[in-house]
Amino acid sequence: SSNDFFSPQTFHSSMHVTQKLELFPDHRLTQMLFKEVKNAAELRQSAMSGKINGALINPTMLVDPFQTLVAANKAVSLQKTGKMKTRSLYSEIIFNLSPTNNISEAFKRFGISDDNDSVLVALVHSEDESQLLTDIAAMVTGQQVPVEDISSLTDQEKIKKLYKITAQEEKCGTLLDAVVCRMATKDVM
Amino acid sequence: MCSSQSRGSERRWTEVNMTQGESMAVSEFLARAKLIKQGAEARVYRVEFLGRPTIVKERFPKRYRHPSLDDKLTHRRTVQEVRSILRCRRAGISAPVVYFVDYTSHCIFLEEIVGSLTVRDHIISIQQSNSCKMLQLDQLAEKVGQILAKMHDEDVIHGDLTTSNMLLRQGMQSDLKAFLSTHPNTEVLFEKLLKSYAASSKKSSAVIKKLDEVRLRGRKRSMVG
Ligand SMILES: Nc1ncnc2c1ncn2[C@@H]1O[C@H](COP(=O)(O)OP(=O)(O)O)[C@@H](O)[C@H]1O
Ligand SMILES: [Mg+2]
Repeated sequence: SSNDFFSPQTFHSSMHVTQKLELFPDHRLTQMLFKEVKNAAELRQSAMSGKINGALINPTMLVDPFQTLVAANKAVSLQKTGKMKTRSLYSEIIFNLSPTNNISEAFKRFGISDDNDSVLVALVHSEDESQLLTDIAAMVTGQQVPVEDISSLTDQEKIKKLYKITAQEEKCGTLLDAVVCRMATKDVM
Repeated sequence: MCSSQSRGSERRWTEVNMTQGESMAVSEFLARAKLIKQGAEARVYRVEFLGRPTIVKERFPKRYRHPSLDDKLTHRRTVQEVRSILRCRRAGISAPVVYFVDYTSHCIFLEEIVGSLTVRDHIISIQQSNSCKMLQLDQLAEKVGQILAKMHDEDVIHGDLTTSNMLLRQGMQSDLKAFLSTHPNTEVLFEKLLKSYAASSKKSSAVIKKLDEVRLRGRKRSMVG
């Protein structure tokens, strides 16, 4: 409905989702999802060289776009206090998704690999940057689909194993709850 | 993954400057937030965060303590609370989801248990109603006993177990002593709670023995005073 376009909190186009980071009023997170991706290797190269200024995430490790939002909020917060564990905001987002403090493992699991056929692109930006989105979408050889479709790509069993979600824990909340809680508390566990 | 050239001294300056900026971002955010409880150790706010109803618990500095000691102690309390929440959840106790922890301003951002009621308020409302009082209280005591047993089996020590610290949804957290002292005529109920605790717990006998000691001391004092 047209109301969605004027929601102050979340902007849903038919495809991407842009959300505010309330703690950082001039920062927004935009997520875009692509399926049937043919050029994952090239995209990964572009991200490493800085040609793509965004996080390229393996969508099979995401239960919900909320996971990326939680990771991005933490990354921006740590960037502003100079306490990031990795070299850039976008690598920090990928690192924050992981339940462990092992950086290379985080990239292996949550970053994209050359043989991935789907990718979630996460961008932190200041205002509506439709040009930026168009430019990045143009680099992907694949089909853009609504971000909400992520649940059809989720590998639940792999996620439960990686985050070590207990059966008891699943009884008291959703898988997303369990995952987000691990992400937010990993520094002290 | 993404390249980021270090910009030497320029970058360092930015980081130092940003440290202040960030604290301001959180305090500016909380300045606009709805304060729901001002405690001795923390302020509790209700906000919208990452698009969700959220509770922020901010542990503030205690001015009578040396600043660096205070910061250390406050940090430790924050870490302890975060750890306890995760351990509860792993044990199947539905403590609120942690969304974010800011160790600079000592703030924990938690899932708001929307529409929840503290056990304290629930007991008061049961006592004021006139139907099935004992049955409802029995069920409550039984539930609290089970959850406490689960927590203690996982070695989660709450530290401030009062009925105001247990929320009613499906999950609760919670104080045995407070249970006795804040609500008159709860002795029978408390026995129920203990029975349920003993039935659920793997190591209840030591706990109940200790409790008997505490209660004996309590009685002696009340006889004197
Ligand atoms: N996650 C939550 N959802 C809903 N209400 C909450 C939540 N956390 C705290 N509250 C409310 O705030 C009150 C104080 O929170 P609490 O964590 O006990 O702080 P304190 O340690 O200062 O007592 C609780 O009694 C409850 O009413
Ligand atoms: Mg309390």
